[in-house]
Order: sequence, then structure tokens, then C-alpha cells
Amino acid sequence: MRVRTPPGLEIVRIVVIADDESSIRLLVHATIESDDFVVMEASNGAEAWALIQQHKPGLVLLDVQMPGRSGLEVLRLIKADPSLKATRVILLTSKAQETDVEVGLMAGADFYLTKPFSPLDLLTRVEEALQI
Amino acid sequence: MGSQEPERTPREASRAGWSLRRYMALFMGVLLVVAGIAALTVRTMAEQDARQSASVDVSFAAQRAAKQLKAGFDAITVLSAPIASDPTTAQVFANPSGCSLGYAPIGAFTTGHVDLIRFDGSVICSSIKPAVTGSNPIYQGQAWLLATEPAVIAPILDPQTGNQVALVLYPVPGHGVLAWFLDLAPLGPRFESDFGSGVHRLEFLITSKDGQTVVVRSIDPVKWVGRNLNGTDFLRATDPSNRPDLNGLRRIYAEATIDTAGWHLYVGADEALALSAADQASNRGLAIILAGLGIMLVVIFVVYRRIVDPIKQLSLVIRGSTPGDVATFVAGAGATEVTGLGEDFAKLMTTVNHELADRLTSEQAARVSERNYRMLFEGHPQPMWLYDVDTLRFLEVNNSAVERYGYSREEFLTMTIKDIRPAQDIPKFLELNAEPLPITDRTGPWRYLLKDGSIIQVLVTSNAVTFGDHGARLVLAEDLTESQRLERELAQSHAHADSNAEISRAKDEMVSMVSHELRTPLASIVGFAELLATREVTADQRKEYLAVMLQEGRRLTSLVNDFLDLRRLEGGHLSMRFAPADISALIMRGVELFSDPGSTTIQTLLPDDLPLVRVDSDSMFRVITNLLSNARKYSPVGGSIVVGASVVDGMVEVYVQDKDLGIPAEALSQLFGKFYRVDAPDRDTIKGTGLGLAICKNIVEAHGGKIRARSEGFGKGARFYFTIPPVREQAQTGDVLVVEDDSGFANLVEAELAAKGLSSIWAADAETAEHLMTKARAVVLDLLLPGLSGETFLQRLRAKHGEDIPVVVVTLKDLDPAERLSLQKAGVTAVLRKGPGTAAMAANLLARSLAPEEVAS
Repeated sequence: MRVRTPPGLEIVRIVVIADDESSIRLLVHATIESDDFVVMEASNGAEAWALIQQHKPGLVLLDVQMPGRSGLEVLRLIKADPSLKATRVILLTSKAQETDVEVGLMAGADFYLTKPFSPLDLLTRVEEALQI
Repeated sequence: MGSQEPERTPREASRAGWSLRRYMALFMGVLLVVAGIAALTVRTMAEQDARQSASVDVSFAAQRAAKQLKAGFDAITVLSAPIASDPTTAQVFANPSGCSLGYAPIGAFTTGHVDLIRFDGSVICSSIKPAVTGSNPIYQGQAWLLATEPAVIAPILDPQTGNQVALVLYPVPGHGVLAWFLDLAPLGPRFESDFGSGVHRLEFLITSKDGQTVVVRSIDPVKWVGRNLNGTDFLRATDPSNRPDLNGLRRIYAEATIDTAGWHLYVGADEALALSAADQASNRGLAIILAGLGIMLVVIFVVYRRIVDPIKQLSLVIRGSTPGDVATFVAGAGATEVTGLGEDFAKLMTTVNHELADRLTSEQAARVSERNYRMLFEGHPQPMWLYDVDTLRFLEVNNSAVERYGYSREEFLTMTIKDIRPAQDIPKFLELNAEPLPITDRTGPWRYLLKDGSIIQVLVTSNAVTFGDHGARLVLAEDLTESQRLERELAQSHAHADSNAEISRAKDEMVSMVSHELRTPLASIVGFAELLATREVTADQRKEYLAVMLQEGRRLTSLVNDFLDLRRLEGGHLSMRFAPADISALIMRGVELFSDPGSTTIQTLLPDDLPLVRVDSDSMFRVITNLLSNARKYSPVGGSIVVGASVVDGMVEVYVQDKDLGIPAEALSQLFGKFYRVDAPDRDTIKGTGLGLAICKNIVEAHGGKIRARSEGFGKGARFYFTIPPVREQAQTGDVLVVEDDSGFANLVEAELAAKGLSSIWAADAETAEHLMTKARAVVLDLLLPGLSGETFLQRLRAKHGEDIPVVVVTLKDLDPAERLSLQKAGVTAVLRKGPGTAAMAANLLARSLAPEEVAS
């Protein structure tokens, strides 16, 4: 878990990135890194769920395929939890997992991105989700 | 199906007995003989009858004639005796006047005269010619005048009449005689007319007292009376009843005597005449017989034509007929029975034709059905057999029985059904078999004995059938043991089908996994590139981003490579070149690659006497390094790894043991699958393509070995081990040892050597080459080798095996003068630089340098 807190500011918003691939986490983190919010990283589903419960993030970026709890499971947990009503979810998937996308959108995901994705595109989606 | 009976030829020869024609001829012959015998017999009998009748006739005539004669003589005596003794007679002699004598026919004597005659021969009184009386002594001098006794004299000529007469004398004492002159001539004809008329033409013959003089003969009386018969055939004949008469004609005679005169009377019938009548009668009979025979012949001919000819024709038609092609017979002229027979035959033939056609059809149907049954029997998946109910012998068995029970068909046919049962079951079987079984019977389970001694459970269904003239039972032996096995197999095949579905699903998953695995590094590379292209980044950031891109790019490359390799391995397309190799050297080179001072230590346990293995060195090196890499990846810093090899069950087993993370039991079986990663938080950071072990498994299996993993569980380490076959002894020899790590070039050199008639062995490294050195007579050597260098190998070679072995060095290495010098010192035949034609050149040089040796040996 890596938390980068902008100096001298109260935590405004929290974004959780959950992906088992560190290079993807790094890419997402580098893309959306902003003074407006805090980015937290999780390398698997269980870790992500722990962070989400603890910090009630405004946005979660979920890799669908992860060891342990999959992104879809975490998504369902989020949607099942009333205290996380405000939490937006963006799914990161490989194109081959179209069924996962459908399942994810039906389960309440706000958006999805297919790997490889454009970092600028991702940033747009994140900003939309956080209504910045 | 019954075989066709051999044609009988010629048919005639096989027909026993006679033809009707022969029978007819025989019948005719017999008839002729019988008729002949009958005719002869009739003739003989008729002749006999004729003779008999003639004989009766003659004897009757003889008696009657004799009686008449006797009656005549008796009458004369009655008349004469009183006259002679009468005193008046004497007076007559004295006084002849007034004397009268009369003659009346007396008995047979119709004519004659009676006289009183004096001794002087003068007639004093006569019944004829009174004029003559007393005139002259007619009978003067006749001896009979002096007779003293009554007498009969015959034949005697009567001088008075000139006739032959029979003279009957009665003396008148003192005076003369009373003489009767009885004419003989009419006597025969008279007898003849009285008795002799009729068929027999009787002859009457009377002879005198002495038997030699003819007194009377009915035939030519004048000529024959008085004839002496002495010396004639008549008297000489031995048979008195059948002798020739005086004319030589054969006659049947009867005889009588007339006592008064001492005469013999013969009556004879003409034999020829008598017989001719009989012959005539018998000839008539013969004619009748001949006529009968003729009629018979005609009848036979007609019968023959009307019966035999149609029958012959019918026979020809039947003979010409063949089954399936029956000739039709048109009944011609013949007896109704025969034409009826012909018509019946024609009808029969028509029926037979139909029947035959029907039968052919039904036989064909039967054949088809038999073939079907046979196919069913032969091809039935369950063992079936046919056994004789009396002897219990096998009569037929099907293929399944032969396969299942292990006995050959021939063996089966010498066995009884008792022989396939365990000895202890036989009493029970015999008890059950003692009672007649129902038509269809189902019993079991029985225990049956296979040839290999194993026992199976069998449910027996049997049916009573006939096999030839045997009572037999057709048995279906439902193999329960086999059924159970089949059920298992079925379950397995279902499992197999499931696994096929599994494979298909795995393929889908594979596509999805590959896609995912490729997209992840791609996402990083593309993403960071975009960031670098679109954003202002600090130098540190750029460095960091580029490092990630490089790392992910490399990962992508190895992923693609691994994946392609795996596909090639799985499809059997990855070409491998197997050659003897020193596995220890391979392992040691791998260990060197991973020995990183300060990190994990790798310990080796390699015995010196390991045999060479048959491997593709590059692939095997990949397996070893992969296992070592995994072991190190999953071992925390400071852990220890053990690599070892040993011979187990004739195979060389190589193992890599780590003592750290370990593998959960449920993961062991999936470890060698594609993209499988042990799902545990402690190894999230460990990277890999997820294809390494799958590739290892394929490589090891391509070598004919097996790869396994064993682990006591999490945190207890893991042991990966695989087996590979050792080199067979004969694969270790050749004329030339090619020491070359580039398998392509080695291949080329070997081909060139083979073209020169030289065999070769290939060693991919110098360590292996050292093992093989003793098996070759020359060496092609590369200097740049993994592990031990070519130069070192050369030095050791010269040290161990002397200077005689020709060595051609072929290398890419740029040699400085010092190196060239040392090679020359080592007695190298040539040093060639790798390039086009080098292989052929090397082969040429070696062929030349080996040639003299060839001649010498």
C-alpha cells in the first residue's frame, strides 16, 4: 500500500487503485496523480476491500482479474455496502473479458476501460467520476 | 450347405440289371424252348399212343382171327369124327353110289371141298364135281392117304383144284380117308376185310407148325403161301412186336396160336402209317404253338413300342435335365399308363421347377440368414460358443471367446465346456446338467477359467439347437467381469469426453489468458509511452517510465517466445536433435548461471558415474535453468537450493529441491498447466510468464521422460524432478566425434562425413565429448563451447590418447598467432574458419587422413 498525501492539505478525496500488476498501478497512479486527491494502491482484491472499507474512497479503479478476490467481487461488496453509496467504480479489463464488463456494469460499475487504455482517456473518466 | 454330388458317368454303366428288351428276348427264348419241348413231348406221346393203339388193334384182331380159325377146325372135327367112325361110311366106300357130300363155309374157311378118298387116291365122293368121281385116282401116291390119325396138313397144293389148301384128314380105317380141302387164299383177305380195315392196314400172316412156312398172308396171298421164311428179317427180328414184314415194311405185331393145327397167327399194323397219323396230330399242335408264338411276338413288339420307347424317351429327358433347368416332357403315343406317367412326369417337372425356384429363393434366403447369424455369432462382442450336449465338446466358438478366454480356436475344439470351469465348480455343473435343460436357459453367475488361470464371472444364456445331427446348445457367456471393466472404461471414456470438453474450455480460457497476459505489459508500454508523449515529465519520471516500459517490453517478448515455443512443443513442431550428453555438465552450466554470490546458494549432488543421456542439449538446458530460476524465485534471499541427479529404474533422474515457499497440495497437479500461478499473497510480487513449467513438461516428455513436483505444503519447500533416458551403448560409437554446440552446423558436418562413408557421433559440449572420445577415431572440434573450452578438451585429448588422432578445428573464433601456434603444437590437422563449405572441407580432410589407416586395418 502506498499513500501519497499532498503536503499541508487535509484529505479531500481518496482514489483506490486495485491491480495485481505493479506496472499498471504505476501507470494509473502516474496518470491521475493530482493535488486534488489521495491515491491508494492495492495489489489484490482483499487488500483493496480493506482499504475501501477503511477510507470510503470516492473512486475505485478495479482490475477485473486479480488473484484472491476478483474485481467483480469487490464491486459487489461495494454496492452492497450502504456506507459506500457515493463510491464510484471504474473497471479495468482485457478485451477478452466482455462478459465481465457486462456483469460489472449490471452490478453497478460506472465505467470500464479496456487494456491497453489511453492514460488521457483514463484521466478524463476519473475526473468525470469525481466531478472535478 | 451340402456340396454338389459328383456327376455319374456313364449313367448306363451304373444301371444294374437288364433292359426290358432283354427280358423280352429271354421270355421269348424260354417260350421257344418250352414250345419245342412240348412239341417233342406231344409228338413222342402221340407216337407212343399210336403204337399202343396199333398194338391193341392188332392183338384184338389176332385173337378174333384165331378164334374164327379154331371155330372152323372145331366144327370140322364135330362134323368129321362121326362120319369117319360111322359104319355107313365104310358102305359108301363099298358102294359109292348115292353118296353126297356138301361143303358149307365153316368158320373162317369160306371155300374148299370135302372128299372121301380111297388109299389109291381115287375120290369116291366129293362135294365138288361129281363127274370126277371114281374115274381117276387124283391123289394117287399122296403120303397123307396113309394117315392113321386125324391130321391137318398145310399148306398143300390141291391137285384137284390147284389151290393152296389146308388139308384136314380123318382116316376111315380100311377104306381110305375123309379129307377136307380148305382154301387158304381167301382166308387172308377175309380176315383183312373182317378186322383189318381202318387206319392200321393190318397184315394177317399164318405160319405152319414149324413156323417157317407161310400158310396164309393177307397181302399177296398167292405169291406168299407156301414160302419158306427161313432167313428172312421177319424171323430174325429180336422184338416180336415190332419187326419188318416180308416186304421189309415195319409193322407192329400181335401173335396167336391155333392149337388144332399148330399154326402161328401174326397180325401186323403198319407202323409208319400209325405214326404218320400221330405225327399229323402233333404237327397240328406244333403249328398251333408256332402260331401262338407269332402272336406273342407281335404282342411283345407292340408292348415294347408302346411302353419301352416312351419310357426311354422319358428317361432321356430326365437324364438331360439338370437341377434348376428341368426339361419338359411331351408324352407321345404310348400305353395310357405310360402316357399317364409321362404327363405325371411333366406335371411333376413343372412342380419341381416351381419348387426348385422356390427352394433356390428360400435357399438363398437361408444362406443370407445363415450368413447373418454367422456374422452375429462371429462378431458378437460377448463370447459365444456351440457345444455338443452329449460329449460337452465345443463345436464352434466366436472370435470374442477366443480373445477373452485366451485359447485358440483349435484348442477350444479339443476341449469340453467342463475345461473352462474351475475344478471345484464341476460337480455343481454336472448336477445341473444331468437334467435336460429347457430350450432357453439362463443361469449364473458362473465362474469361468481363462487360459491364463484367471477367473471371471459369467452369466450364461443357452439355447438348444441342432448342429448337423448333434444336439447342441448355443451359449452366450455374458462376461460380468468384462462388463464391469467396460463400465469402468465407459466411465473413463465419459471422463475422457469430459476432458475433451475441458480441453476445449481450456483453449477458450487460454485465449482469454493469453489475451490478458499480453495486454497487461502492452497496457504499460502503450500507457507510459502516451504519458511521455503527452506530458511534461521530470527526468526521474522519464527514467522510471522508460525502465518500466523496457521491463514490460522484455516480458512481452519472452511471453511471446515462450508461448510460441510451447505451441511448437505441444504440436511436436519444435525440432530437437538428440545426442549423447553429459547431464552433469549441463546442470553445472545452469548452476553457474544462477550462482549469485550473496543470494541463494546452490548445492549440487552429482555422482561421477552418471551415464550419458540422450537429450537435445539446448532444450534440456532450458528445463534445468527454468527449474533453477523457479527455485530461486520462490526462495527468499538466503535460502538454499539442492540440484542432484541419480539413476532410478534405468532412467536418469534430475531434481531441483528448494526449502522455502512450497506448493499447496491442490496446486501440484495444475502446476504444469499454462499460466498457472500459485494463488497466494506471499508470491504476488514474483513475476513470470506462467508458461515455464508447461514448457519443461513438454520438453521432458519429448525426451521420453516424466516431470513431477512434490511438496510437503506451504512453507516446506518443493522438489521438482524429471527423468530422461540414458544413451544406448551402440549410439555412442562412430568414426568421427563432432564437438560442436551449434546443432545446425554439427548436422551439416555429420551429413558431409556420411557422404564420405564415415559415421559420426555428436557431442554438444566438450564434457560430453570427453566421455565419447574412446569411441571415435577422429575429431571435428569447435573451440567456442559452453563450459569446457575446445582448447582444454584438445589438451586433455592429447594427454590421454596421444598424438595420433586426427583433429580438425572448425571455429568462428579469431585466433591470434600464439593460439594458432599452440594448436599446431597440439598436432591439429587443420584449423578452418566456419563458413560456407567448411563442413565439406573438414569431412574431406578427415576422410583423407583416415584412409591409410583404413587400408592398413
